[in-house]
Amino acid sequence: MKTLQSAVLGGTLIMSAMGASAETFRWASTTDPQTMDPHAVNSAPVLSFLNNIYEGLVRRGQDMSIEPSLATSWEPLTDENGWRFHLRKDVTFQDGSAFTAEDVLFSYQRASDEAADVRSWFAPVSDVRVVDDHTIDFVNTAPNPLFPDSIANFMILDKDWATANDAALPARDAENFATMNVNGTGPFTLASRDPGVRTTLAPNANWWDEVNHNVTEAVFTPIGNSATGLAALLSGEIDFIQPIPLQDVAQVEGRDGFKVLEGEETRVIMFGFGHEHEALLYSSDVTDANPFTDPRVRLAAAHALDLASINRVLFRGKIDPASQLVPAGISGYSDANQDRPAFDQDRAKELLAEAGYPDGFSFGLKCPNDRYINDEALCRAAASMFAAVGLNAELSTGPVRDYWPQLREDDFDMYLLGWSPGTFDMEHPIRFLMHSQDDERKLGSWNFGNYSNARVDELLPLIQQEIDPAARQAMIDEVVTVTQDEVAYIPLYTQPLIWAAKDNIELTQRADNFFMLRWVSVN
Amino acid sequence: MVYFILKRMFQSVFVMLAVAFLAFSLFRFVGDPITQMTGVETSVADQERLREELGLNDPFVYQFARFTGDMLKGDFGFSYRTRQPVADMITSRIPATLELGVVALIISLLVGVPAGVYTALKPRGVLTQAILMTTLVGVSIPTFVIGIMLIFIFGVQLGWLPTFGRGGTVQIGGWESSLFTIDGWRALLLPAITLGVYQLTLTMRLVRAEMMEVMRTDYIRFAMARGVPMRRLHYKHALANTMVPVITIIGLQFGGVIAFSIVTESVFQWPGMGLLFLESIRFVDIPVMGVYLVVIAFFFVLVNLIVDLLYVAIDPRLRIKDVS
Repeated sequence: MKTLQSAVLGGTLIMSAMGASAETFRWASTTDPQTMDPHAVNSAPVLSFLNNIYEGLVRRGQDMSIEPSLATSWEPLTDENGWRFHLRKDVTFQDGSAFTAEDVLFSYQRASDEAADVRSWFAPVSDVRVVDDHTIDFVNTAPNPLFPDSIANFMILDKDWATANDAALPARDAENFATMNVNGTGPFTLASRDPGVRTTLAPNANWWDEVNHNVTEAVFTPIGNSATGLAALLSGEIDFIQPIPLQDVAQVEGRDGFKVLEGEETRVIMFGFGHEHEALLYSSDVTDANPFTDPRVRLAAAHALDLASINRVLFRGKIDPASQLVPAGISGYSDANQDRPAFDQDRAKELLAEAGYPDGFSFGLKCPNDRYINDEALCRAAASMFAAVGLNAELSTGPVRDYWPQLREDDFDMYLLGWSPGTFDMEHPIRFLMHSQDDERKLGSWNFGNYSNARVDELLPLIQQEIDPAARQAMIDEVVTVTQDEVAYIPLYTQPLIWAAKDNIELTQRADNFFMLRWVSVN
Repeated sequence: MVYFILKRMFQSVFVMLAVAFLAFSLFRFVGDPITQMTGVETSVADQERLREELGLNDPFVYQFARFTGDMLKGDFGFSYRTRQPVADMITSRIPATLELGVVALIISLLVGVPAGVYTALKPRGVLTQAILMTTLVGVSIPTFVIGIMLIFIFGVQLGWLPTFGRGGTVQIGGWESSLFTIDGWRALLLPAITLGVYQLTLTMRLVRAEMMEVMRTDYIRFAMARGVPMRRLHYKHALANTMVPVITIIGLQFGGVIAFSIVTESVFQWPGMGLLFLESIRFVDIPVMGVYLVVIAFFFVLVNLIVDLLYVAIDPRLRIKDVS
């Protein structure tokens, strides 16, 4: 065993020595970005990857705060609703052409087209006007204080390049030039791409901002199998991997030369209910009513959950219990509503008795098994905790590709959901999870159980338009209070973020799970 | 002979059609491609519009007819996930899978046949017992466990071989090969062994059983009595007669090796068709899944045909029949 260990050590030293001299940085993640087109797919792997190549008017810093990027400053329009952006001068695209307001207008038209998956970002935009080469106005339908924050992932590409290469619109059915080629203003440019196998990035020598990385070449490999990914890291073939499974943390920490990076994602895991179902679908004893329409029953379910045990047994102490649908640190979160229902089985049983179910009842619980960390194990644990107070959950789990369609078809009594606010503001979950379903106005689209409260519906547009932070926070607090009182959801915890790297790598772990090459240094 | 081949090719079209039909009837249960293609913020109306555009609302028979019609015209469609042409995606992955399968087959034959002969000729030897025991263990452990074990021993602990990917590859025409570089071979070794272990055990046991059977036949005893040298007797007369059933089984198994390299490819992140298929399942990429299954069905038919032809080459009696 001793010889084995020294062999490992020797191998690691040689590998890291090689890495240091070349400053080639190799990393892996579970999913390959589906496309290089910044407007075609609104998914984290794509947006995270392309943020290294393309840039937006604004961007997020290491602590998620909004900072100037291609726009140097912005202010509200004076005579109408909307924002004026002053663009950075002397910025060039990677092919050498100049960046102007025309490119922003073109990118807006491209990203808000029906063929673009990111078009929902521009729902509040009624018009975009070029003022001069370096000034552009985004006119909003209503006051929208959060608009600049909401377009941090809106990436700008070159108008001439896109039109010359027949890529004026994102590819919907068939590929186009922008699916495999890039021309952004960002810190890195695409050197080679073999989808699903290997993608290589090279630094952009003409990048406008100060360079804080020392990477001369970056090689990305998707590795779907987590054991293979771990082996690739431990053998020194890759420098960094995101994410690693919880159960592998000890393996990595136990070896010299490697480190685990732990943080908190902005994703809150919660249970949701079929609020508008007339009867339970999966019950063997209550088939003519839906007990979950009674807030007391929902509160009983919340009291039945022992999060401390779940944390200890399933998550090795790495989760933070959640009281609301966003974690602390997100704008709109306030400590006013930071208490969550305590673990109290007696209280749960009392509440069930008050609601007319002293012996409990059985119901169906749906969970995905490949979407969130330990999602299936979590639901098993929760089901046994529910059972202890008389709520007999019949658990069914499945892959996520099958899961969303079931939820959309109302095929559940209770379900598991994780939500990460795309705008990093509390308004996001209110819009998607708490407002009543309204397909026409594109509201409540992930509110599967159709929780509906007139006051919440009334407050959402007011929150969206309120300029005064204190008044806005007061309204958000009211929504949170109402939904907590009614137990619209049972927020459980914030999902941990676990990455692993070699000791000689320095990088920044951002809470949105995006990995930015511009903060990497290979020592 | 030409008639025979043509007939087989004709049959293969039916096999592929049947596979495509079965596949399409199952795709509805795989999941919803739209939720995998769009982001969380995409509105329900936009999702519906996309569903309509892709023809996912059409009855399944209609979707199947469109798929086969396009295929017959040579149009393999575009991937839902990457928007690339499916034909390009699959053909670019074929070399990796075929090379892996063939090298796995060669390893299994190079080790399996001699080991089979040895264990047949020395049935009570200590080494024989050891070989039989080892291969029994090898065949009872699932492929992915063997793969992970090999990776952790040779990749992580010893650091001798790479843990994932194809290593150095060379482009020859449209064929991306890992057979012409040291790096390529280093990367190929572990996955090929992993994939070949089952095949190896099967070959060895088959050769052993057949060989023992042949050694008991009258013509071998007669040749022995006539004083034919033992070497010549074993390797010329006995082994040749052993090979006909062995080739049948091994050949038929090869189709399976190609089709079921999925597990090995996933464990070693080997960029072959199997890995592509796995990714496609995750994203409910129906066009890629459909074409992959049809291509695999074609491989099966092709391998069967080659086995039949090899038969004729090895067994002179079949040739005589064919001539008459």
